[in-house]
Amino acid sequence: MTLHAIPVRTVPAVVVNGLRRSYGERIVIDNLDLRIERGEFVALLGESGCGKTTLLRALAGLDPIQGGHIAAPRRPAVVFQEHRLLPWETLWRNVSLGLAGDNPRERAAAALAEVGLGDRLDDWPRNLSGGQAQRVALARALVQEPELLLLDEPFAALDALTRLRMHDLVKELAARHRPGVLLVTHDVDEAIALADRILVMRDGIIAFEHSATTRGGATATRARLLLELGVTAGTAQVV
Amino acid sequence: MSSIEKIETDIRDAERGPARPGARPTIGNNGLLMISWIAPVVVLIAWEWLAQSGWLSPQVLPAPSKVARTAFKLLLSGSLLNDLGVSLLRAAAGFAIGGGIGFALGTLVGFSRIAQALIDRSVQMIRAIPFLAMVPLVIVWFGVGEGEKIFLVSLGVAFPIYINTTLGIRQVDPKLLELGRVQGLGTWQTVRRIILPGALPSILTGVRYSLATAWLALVVAETIGAQSGLGFLAMDAREFLRTDVIVLTILIYALIGVAADSIARLLERRLLAWHPNYGDAAR
Repeated sequence: MTLHAIPVRTVPAVVVNGLRRSYGERIVIDNLDLRIERGEFVALLGESGCGKTTLLRALAGLDPIQGGHIAAPRRPAVVFQEHRLLPWETLWRNVSLGLAGDNPRERAAAALAEVGLGDRLDDWPRNLSGGQAQRVALARALVQEPELLLLDEPFAALDALTRLRMHDLVKELAARHRPGVLLVTHDVDEAIALADRILVMRDGIIAFEHSATTRGGATATRARLLLELGVTAGTAQVV
Repeated sequence: MSSIEKIETDIRDAERGPARPGARPTIGNNGLLMISWIAPVVVLIAWEWLAQSGWLSPQVLPAPSKVARTAFKLLLSGSLLNDLGVSLLRAAAGFAIGGGIGFALGTLVGFSRIAQALIDRSVQMIRAIPFLAMVPLVIVWFGVGEGEKIFLVSLGVAFPIYINTTLGIRQVDPKLLELGRVQGLGTWQTVRRIILPGALPSILTGVRYSLATAWLALVVAETIGAQSGLGFLAMDAREFLRTDVIVLTILIYALIGVAADSIARLLERRLLAWHPNYGDAAR
């Protein structure tokens, strides 16, 4: 019996078929297909109003869809642009919000330790900086051990240095927990730094796809992505 | 001023901490506290002096020392504590009933559009009536007795609690409610961990406001007619021109009002420890 190369069996974190989403007459997402594997980090780029946040909200089950099918194994975890911590609950209570099962405090403590806030369990959200609060939000998402993690521009409100540190942290956590990740962002460099696969959304569909395995170098990638996003001035400088 | 000088003053300002209007480094908080007591003490001394020297007739305004002696005598005889207890009990009963009704209706209306359509207009119409205008009608209904007094207090208390409860629930951040959905909270969990805590600052404002209304309602109800209580003490004293007793009851009413407000504020500090505007960090 000869040994065949075992085909890589990937497990999808989410599969979207023919998704339609509209506000009245206006169609925001039109017949969109998307598949994200577990352990895969996908970034979704697009101009403001192109429907990328609409797609994320549909995946999160926050908005109704008008057509198509979304197959997600379990309730996905979401990190929003704002931390959305409950100001009246301590950090560990915030992290364990909605957490089923035993020992919520221990599990929240472990998650907080992972984001470097293991000594702040009983502290209040008001004592946190913006970056720290967003790290707690990340811990709250990861403590659920999600198969799909949805990040809706979670670093947009942070200063540049904090954002870079958050990139490292998210990359490390995603590698350890291996959920499928969908990062919605408008920052091309952030997408290049974090994602295995970059999607550009335009006119309600995924207009361009770039995989890390076919990457020709960050500069070329950046230029191509900017071009896809309709930014010509930036590409001229880079190329 | 050059920019470097400006930066240096900014740094010095920052080191001194946030500027309080009127606060100078030479006068500490204790100093300010003492200054704030100067005027009341001066007024008290002047009052005592005017009464002692005969400028003020004891029938118009007795000396503070006389009021104090009267208070002591009434305390010893036990009648003061008895009347005070009766008044406090009426206030507490009215507050519990009115507050309970206001909170229950406010919660219903806050959560349900249908309940709002059913209830809110009627409540707002009744609220438009100054509740003290109801006194003659209430006396016809209940006669002059405990029922009338407790009803008036309840009426005064229910509305502030109702309005602030509704408002508080409505004002809960929709983004936090959305988070509750994302985290998979059930209805009861959403209410307990997001909606009620979010509405609490507003509800406590209602409690504080209604404490003042409760007290006002009680004074009016007791002054109209009572066989016991602080208001009875005052009206009884009026028959005998005992101005000292009347002044004493007025003072006690004031003191209890202050005490009630302090309790409400303590409650806010405890329950809203997380809130940047309350709690110990805000001190």
